[in-house]
Amino acid sequence: MKSPDHIRRGRAWALILTGAILYAPANLVPVMTMTIPGHHDKLTVWGGVVELYEVGLWPASVVVFLASICVPLFKLISIGLLLIMDGSPHYCLERTKVFRVIETIGTWSMVDIFLLSVLVAVGQMKLLASIEAQPGAIFFAGVLMCTIFATHNYDVRMIWRNSTR
Amino acid sequence: MPSRLHDSAPWRTCPDCDAPYRRHLLRPREKLVCRRCGVRLSSYQGGVSLQAILALAFTGLLLLLMANTSPIMTFDVAGRIQSNLVITGVQGLVQQGYGVLALLVFFCSILAPALYLLLLIYALVPLVLGMSWPGLGFSGRLILFLAPWNLVPVFIVACGIAVVRLELMGRVVWQSGALYALLLSVCCLVLGRIFPRERVEILLEEAR
Repeated sequence: MKSPDHIRRGRAWALILTGAILYAPANLVPVMTMTIPGHHDKLTVWGGVVELYEVGLWPASVVVFLASICVPLFKLISIGLLLIMDGSPHYCLERTKVFRVIETIGTWSMVDIFLLSVLVAVGQMKLLASIEAQPGAIFFAGVLMCTIFATHNYDVRMIWRNSTR
Repeated sequence: MPSRLHDSAPWRTCPDCDAPYRRHLLRPREKLVCRRCGVRLSSYQGGVSLQAILALAFTGLLLLLMANTSPIMTFDVAGRIQSNLVITGVQGLVQQGYGVLALLVFFCSILAPALYLLLLIYALVPLVLGMSWPGLGFSGRLILFLAPWNLVPVFIVACGIAVVRLELMGRVVWQSGALYALLLSVCCLVLGRIFPRERVEILLEEAR
């Protein structure tokens, strides 16, 4: 059985605020370290994007930028706006479309977490090459989970409850 | 000629806006769209049988098994070679003290796809055979819950990015597991596209 609207709304607000708070450390704290002889890199999400771009791998850089930086930010802002506009009879169709976009692109931010797991899996060569996860990844995963569960708690039908259409 | 209204069909509500609607008998290339919010309620599924979807789900399950037991890639640095399975990343994260991340990767890349495909098979087999099994309604709800957590396609994209990044440090060679995971991704995307949600919901209601 589904929870009443006000409880779902409250949960979505709590999750989106938590996600917004976690967004800063998720982007400022390193998510991984990459070590090869003579080189030790602590990479943040943004650092990973820049590194890929600087070595000429701009298609991969664009994918990581969109999935790891744009999508979570877009979700935080969009769900926040949907919650702020909750109860309004205006722009129902547009708000529904925004919600569908959020649902469709939402889980693509997991690219960075999967990337970390693949790199950690093969990057265990002690002195030759070593890749280790860092606490930033926990913050990043926290943002993803908050936005995913906020979307899950936001019932799109709430948009239409006060509509005149 | 316009589609005919399915007179005996009960009224249903749009999942996105609660507007009432009744099912129509759709013709090829036709789709039923909510007039209020524009969501696609159903589309013509005449060309896709439940048997075909079931076969695709079985194929997906087989590919999942192969993708999880074959190496994805090998990484060669100065003659030292390391290969990985999907689960190797999970183990690596656990060893580095990031159990929460490991759990997330395990759920989205292994457990959710496996449960999704198994439950799909569990729900489709009795529908194809025209019989009823216990727990069909529950499995139907679980399928809808698990579908967005089946992130094998995202995993494959991450593998692609990992390869270009690792090539800066050494030599990387794709292995058969990547091909199986890629085929599994295609299989899951096609299943998501052709899965006749409304038709299965109705059949599950009737089976209960």
